[in-house]
Amino acid sequence: MNDRAATYIEYAQAVPLAYAIDMDACVGCGLCENMCLAGAVAYDDKVRQTDVQVGSIILAPGTKPFDPAGLDHLGYGKFANVVTSDGFERILSAGGPYYGHIMRPLDRAEPKSIAWLQCIGSRDTNQCGNGYCSSVCCMYATKEAMIAKEHIHGDLDAVVFNMDMRTYGKDYEKYFMRARDKEGVRYVKARVHTIDENHETGDLSVRYVDEEGKVCVDEFSMVVLSVGLTIPEDATRLADRLGVELNKYKYAKIDPLAPVETNQPGIYVCGVFQGPKDIPESVTEASAAACLAGADLSAARGTDVETIVLPEQKEVAHQEPRIGVFVCNCGINIGGVVDVPAVQEYAGTLDNVVFTDSNLFTCSQDTQEKIKEMIIEQGLNRVVVASCSPKTHEGMFMETLEACGLNRYLFEMANIRNQNSWIHSKTPDTATEKAKDLVRAAVARARTLKAMEEKRIPVNQKALVVGGGVAGMTAALNLERQGFPVVLLEKTDSLGGLARRLHHTIEGADVQAFVAKLVADVSGAEKIEVLLGAEVVGFGGYQGNFTTEVAVGGDKRSIDHGAIVVATGAVEYEPTEYLFGDDERVITQLDLSDRIAEKGVADVDTVVMIQCVGSRNDEMQECSRICCQNAVKNALAIKEQSPDTQVFVLYRDIRTYGQMEDYYREAREKDVIFIRFKEEEPPIVEKSGDGLVVRVKDHILGQQVAIEADLVTLSAGLRAADTETLCRTMKLNTNLENYFMEAHVKLRPVDMPGAGIFLCGTAHGPKLITETLAQAQAAASRATTFLAKPEIKLSAITAKVDTDHCVKCLTCVRNCPFDVPVFDNNEKLIKIDEAMCHGCGVCACVCPRQTIQLGFYEDDQLISKVDGLLAEKTG
Amino acid sequence: MAETAIKLGGKRKPNLLDELREMLPQGNLNLCLTCGLCSSGCPSSSFDDMDPRKFLRMLSLGMDEEILASRWPWFCSMCQRCSRVCPMQIDIPQMIYKLRQKVPRSERPKGILHSCDAALANESLSAMGTSPEDFEWIVNDVLEETQTDQPEFKDLEAPLDKEGAHFLVNQNSREPMTEPDEMVPLWKILHQVGASWTYPKTAWAAENYCLFMADDEGWEHITRKAAEVTDKLGCKIFLNTE
Repeated sequence: MNDRAATYIEYAQAVPLAYAIDMDACVGCGLCENMCLAGAVAYDDKVRQTDVQVGSIILAPGTKPFDPAGLDHLGYGKFANVVTSDGFERILSAGGPYYGHIMRPLDRAEPKSIAWLQCIGSRDTNQCGNGYCSSVCCMYATKEAMIAKEHIHGDLDAVVFNMDMRTYGKDYEKYFMRARDKEGVRYVKARVHTIDENHETGDLSVRYVDEEGKVCVDEFSMVVLSVGLTIPEDATRLADRLGVELNKYKYAKIDPLAPVETNQPGIYVCGVFQGPKDIPESVTEASAAACLAGADLSAARGTDVETIVLPEQKEVAHQEPRIGVFVCNCGINIGGVVDVPAVQEYAGTLDNVVFTDSNLFTCSQDTQEKIKEMIIEQGLNRVVVASCSPKTHEGMFMETLEACGLNRYLFEMANIRNQNSWIHSKTPDTATEKAKDLVRAAVARARTLKAMEEKRIPVNQKALVVGGGVAGMTAALNLERQGFPVVLLEKTDSLGGLARRLHHTIEGADVQAFVAKLVADVSGAEKIEVLLGAEVVGFGGYQGNFTTEVAVGGDKRSIDHGAIVVATGAVEYEPTEYLFGDDERVITQLDLSDRIAEKGVADVDTVVMIQCVGSRNDEMQECSRICCQNAVKNALAIKEQSPDTQVFVLYRDIRTYGQMEDYYREAREKDVIFIRFKEEEPPIVEKSGDGLVVRVKDHILGQQVAIEADLVTLSAGLRAADTETLCRTMKLNTNLENYFMEAHVKLRPVDMPGAGIFLCGTAHGPKLITETLAQAQAAASRATTFLAKPEIKLSAITAKVDTDHCVKCLTCVRNCPFDVPVFDNNEKLIKIDEAMCHGCGVCACVCPRQTIQLGFYEDDQLISKVDGLLAEKTG
Repeated sequence: MAETAIKLGGKRKPNLLDELREMLPQGNLNLCLTCGLCSSGCPSSSFDDMDPRKFLRMLSLGMDEEILASRWPWFCSMCQRCSRVCPMQIDIPQMIYKLRQKVPRSERPKGILHSCDAALANESLSAMGTSPEDFEWIVNDVLEETQTDQPEFKDLEAPLDKEGAHFLVNQNSREPMTEPDEMVPLWKILHQVGASWTYPKTAWAAENYCLFMADDEGWEHITRKAAEVTDKLGCKIFLNTE
């Protein structure tokens, strides 16, 4: 992983894609400066100090992987085939040392078996002092194992040695299950003590004790150390200079009820510097920090703005098509399977294709510049990119076209990765032929493309927030602070939501006081109108110009607004398991926290908690995320009140991710006993005389345990609050578990697929109050970005009716999933409002007379594509 | 282990675990994550179907009688491979040591007990009862034989009680008593590097069964005697070959 010259490019998709000098490796010969034809090397460039006047600061200094060199029992640095997980990412990368072919460092042989060792540099107060869980390693190890299995021909034995699998995020449990049950990644509950190298084969022997207590010595071709996250020293120095307080693990010290604020007013944090977290949550927090920083500056909004002026569009309507085809290698994703030069050569033989090229990464910044150059130099008036899915990159390529005066709709993609190289990786010859077919089809369609104009519409700057819990109130308050009027709807007769039933966060923050203050702030906010007992009964309009019908206590009100924040929350699952409802000593964690706060537990001898009730099972595959910390929180509260009360927590994996691991440790320290059970061997709760007995097998001794319990507490998971009606009315999407879906997990985590609609809180998926607050601020931030523009440009991909030939059969009216086509009684015509049209194309498909055309997907454009696909290969 | 269920419940009562953790300088025994790193590294794992993790678990579940009846603590070699890597820094060897002390001295395993007692009964501190005179005779005999048979080592030395030597080297009694030639390789190494060294005539035995017996006084006696002879001979470094 160290084979890098002193001059290097950080990684293939880096922005800007430019060389840098690694001053640690540079010998100072000055050759690069002398050789550079562009004279771009400023060898003597020095760090310069610049003064910048700012109103607020956001700290996002990121993370550094833990260095395992000090852990001598693992052999890192001693045995070449022991690598860190970030090293393994380099091995997987097309831009890495082995060009994406999975090889082990010692002899460049393809590994037959790989072991991942979890919690290296995490959850360890002895050797590394990082008592926290790094939150991301279980998922990335699973991802790496799946990719490795996919890339390696033949059967790779991939084993993840772990203590607890912490796949707690939205849809993560499904991913974990897929890896385990479908892809055959093995998960072993064990930790490896010693790694030894077989000097002849270079294989590594690992010694561990399995769940049954048997000593095993297995051999692996490679070992990957799943290293945790740490805070780099320069970040702690930066914090020191700014007077920002850090905690004992060097993460920014934050109040759990003010997740992105530091002790210094006006200085905000996001990402791992705030606490260990993954990309979706980092992106969410980044928006939250931007929200608060922006609120401080809202008076100055719109000043100091630079507008991008696009060149005037070239008229191409009457020109013969001049098509440029750019074929992408996508590192080795495509190039490792498909013969890219052959596809490029073939593209050059197609009619109207006047230019072809191939690139390592067509999406990189330097390739965009190259495409622009070629459009101008070659006079291209249509561009085809043969690469990946338009879902992720079409917009970016369209911008490239616009930037040099070509209409954005003169663009077409052939997906030769997702639909070709990924699925035909075992048959490269036919994959190359298929790539040619897909390129030919794309070129055929490109010939028929037309320039289209995008309509501009004004934006109503009021926001509607649906749901008056912590998420909704926080979103509303932050929108108000940004200067926008808000209508806040709550279906019950009081604000507060599920948080009304919470007493403290695990850190000890007073939730009731916080909610009371939030309610007071919202009620007192000048620009927030709260409607209690309100329900959405009708919905219409389009981004920037919605109209929502609300029923409030017998009245109906119509609200015009530009954006929506959905924050309808979730509810505690009502168990049917473990005698719940049948015996009053079986209660939920929420009930228990009430009992602790109201009556106390000094009279209780033994409490047994059962985890994953209504989660991680056939009915609800996902993890409810909050329950493990909830159990630990309540267990600690019991021990605080009554140290002699015994608490047993029966669990499957303890998921006290991030810095909550400290509380799990504290619970054990205070003699809470944790017993792990397997999904297929759940505990049994039964009545025995006057009492309750819980039976479970101890995971270490393999022996049955019978616990006499005074209280059995079920860690009932969360369920999406009745989202079905709202889904229908407002045309929103949910996942399998009925939680609302975001537009993109990583890139747009609080946007919903529909423009102008944002999402936060447990309506998105189970989460803690701290996480809810950050997400609500993020939703407010994204809504602000949307509302701050006085007008927006609409997509030109909308349906148009040819009214001369329409027979008004109303098929479109009946079939549109968004109720957009209407029969205008005055003009006696079918009308499709282009601002409301989602461009899905259903009407165009069902119209029996084919009088509806969808822009960019007109019939002849699609037919040309099909004809192109089915045409015989020439050339 | 019996198939009957382990019965738990009621208010928490003080147990053996509480007693032990009071005695340990660090590492609350209940901090155990049950990760098994200790057992993965332990040379005595699986003996008697037991390992450090299971042992600690029995303590956590209050199975005090079973713990006190177990002979597994005597399998521990005190190597500390467990506590070195334990993420919670649980001092398992120290726990084992304290548990051994809970067994009356006369009831501790006979082999270790007799070895400890034997060492305490002679000036060599030899668990095999080898006297200083026997040791001196054997060393000189083996030395002469080597000097004669291997001319290239005719200058080989094995000094005894050489005052002012840099290293004081001790010797497990097993070699002089059963495999005397096994002492020679170390002599050769020390000779080859030109080290200034000596055996002591007393307190030369390197083994310390009193340590494994958890006999604090015996352990101290053996260690103190070795330190005293080192000082008496003016040696700079005490080289423990065990």
